[in-house]
Amino acid sequence: MKRQKKIAARKSIKETASKPGKVPIRKLPTGVRGLDEIMGGGLPELSFNIITGGPGCGKTTLAHQILFANATRKKPALYFTILGEPPIKMLRYQQQYTFFDPAQLNTAIRFVNLSDVVADKDLNAVFAAIAKEVAATNPGMVAVDSFRSVGRKSVSSSGAIEVATFVQRLAEFLTSWEATTFLIGEYDQAETQSDPVFTVADGLFRLTQVAERNSVVRKLEIQKLRGQASVPGLHTIRIGDDGIQAFSRTLGLTGQRAKTFSRQRVSVGIPELDKMFGGGVFNGDSLLVAGPTGSGKSAIATQFIAAGLRTGEPGVMAIFEERPRQYARRAGNFGLDLITPQEKEKLKILYLRPLDLSVDETMVEILDAIEEVGAKRLVIDSLAGFEMALAPGFRMDFRESLYRMIGALTGAGVTILSTVEVEESFQCLDFSHYSISFLTDDIVRLRYVEIDGQLRKIMVVVKMRGANHSKDIREYIINDKGVVVISPRKTEYQGLITGIPTRTGVRPAQEEEAAPERKTTR
Amino acid sequence: MRDFAQRLVAREAMGKRPFERNGRAFGRVIEKVRGPLVALTGVAGFRSLLSRALALANAEVRWLRAVHVKADGALECPAEIAQLDKEEIAKGEVALLAQLLGLLVTFIGEALTARLLEDTWPGVPVNDFDFGRKSPGKEQK
Repeated sequence: MKRQKKIAARKSIKETASKPGKVPIRKLPTGVRGLDEIMGGGLPELSFNIITGGPGCGKTTLAHQILFANATRKKPALYFTILGEPPIKMLRYQQQYTFFDPAQLNTAIRFVNLSDVVADKDLNAVFAAIAKEVAATNPGMVAVDSFRSVGRKSVSSSGAIEVATFVQRLAEFLTSWEATTFLIGEYDQAETQSDPVFTVADGLFRLTQVAERNSVVRKLEIQKLRGQASVPGLHTIRIGDDGIQAFSRTLGLTGQRAKTFSRQRVSVGIPELDKMFGGGVFNGDSLLVAGPTGSGKSAIATQFIAAGLRTGEPGVMAIFEERPRQYARRAGNFGLDLITPQEKEKLKILYLRPLDLSVDETMVEILDAIEEVGAKRLVIDSLAGFEMALAPGFRMDFRESLYRMIGALTGAGVTILSTVEVEESFQCLDFSHYSISFLTDDIVRLRYVEIDGQLRKIMVVVKMRGANHSKDIREYIINDKGVVVISPRKTEYQGLITGIPTRTGVRPAQEEEAAPERKTTR
Repeated sequence: MRDFAQRLVAREAMGKRPFERNGRAFGRVIEKVRGPLVALTGVAGFRSLLSRALALANAEVRWLRAVHVKADGALECPAEIAQLDKEEIAKGEVALLAQLLGLLVTFIGEALTARLLEDTWPGVPVNDFDFGRKSPGKEQK
């Protein structure tokens, strides 16, 4: 046994010796919520990065946030300002963010203005000024803002060294001094594709803002990041009191392993509907309830959440069309208590109605709530309201983001009920104009039908993935218990799903009613 | 603010000759703060701030009208200043410094102004002055 261990140890040493380890690249925290995940774990230490974007995109804020998150007295940060926003104004505005700690000024972060050097001298002098400060400070991070003005200066000066050479020298120098570096400049996308300056950079972060109708959408793209896999594509960013927050396209769900959970039936809160599903839906299913206005979709959603709470499953309700208090009051009319579970932090009702939300930040808010209460059930009431709450620019991303979120949550065992309003057609049975049935495992369709001069309601289970379900069309009512499915299961009508059924059986005798008014006759 | 400016001017004057005939005694404190502020705002930025502070202080101390800000941000004082007594010179410097600090507080706030002063005068307590709560002009009344 001992001998075997010795052999194994020797083998291990031999392997280590013959295969030297790769250089580890430490990943620094960006201090920007969501950005570490987008970058693939954080900012590569000692990288040389360029932050580009038009005015007002948040370039300076992003650089400041990263510097404040990393700078220490031992390893300070240097922030060189060149032409552009006067430093005093920059400090005036940047200190409004919560990440800006005045105590770090001149201890952990030093601001150095080089506008005079740029205005009066050439790029050699700029390089010399930067090198002198770096040598004196030994910083862990360096930012040059705005680097674009250095380039413009060189173009207008005869005999000035090329910007690319300047950048190359700067990159080599700052890397030797073990500084993670940011150059900040107003470059558009076309320039970043063709300018040789950008080939020097290890990281290229592009910020954009696009006005779409009445709202503005800010996005971040990691165009390049050497040494590690970042999440590709455009990610929404929002600038708030805490600075920038980034919302990954993957909602922070990449790399998360799907939780294993035993697949079992759970009640939707309406006993007869459970029977129609063959004993309830499966946990981890996505259930869509589609129906016209007033048909009881929210009532079913409430009963679904209440059923979960009764069996110890915390829940989250993301509602877009009613206020939480009103929602809870209506649940109370059905004898369902949504107030106590909220107090006990077993239920969270999110009211999301601003009209400029991004789809990803809304998703993150829902995901945060799910984590907070440990939710096993989620209600989205309704998808139409959700879409309306989004800024117009985000509505195109709606289905894609919804798909990612539903996929990730159901994979983790959360059972989701979404409602969707459908326009009632008396020719066919639409499920929704969203074409989202691919998102759902189970679909219940509600609709109005005209029977005996009354507008009555029917429901049918249209789809249930992986299991058989009742094909019956059932009538239901909404009373003080909520949605209640009633008999008869067998009906003497046909064409119910058209909304204008015809009787197949004998019409029961009933008293003749006089017409309310005489027909007009000539 | 004015009290703090007074203390700084008095502190800088300590151990120095009370008066120098070439007028260099005026502006010692401003000269000391020039370096860190130029590093932060650039020469042009510092010149703008100091020129504005000087214009405001002119209203309080008339002889300051003869003082100018040079291209590098240093103060240029006429030879006649040498004829003023030391209290009058200190009064002018206090007025100018108080206005400069007032502008800094207006733009970058108390916390950052305090940080800059702590760097220039380590150990000077900067928490006990009335930063920006009253404008220097109002304090005079």
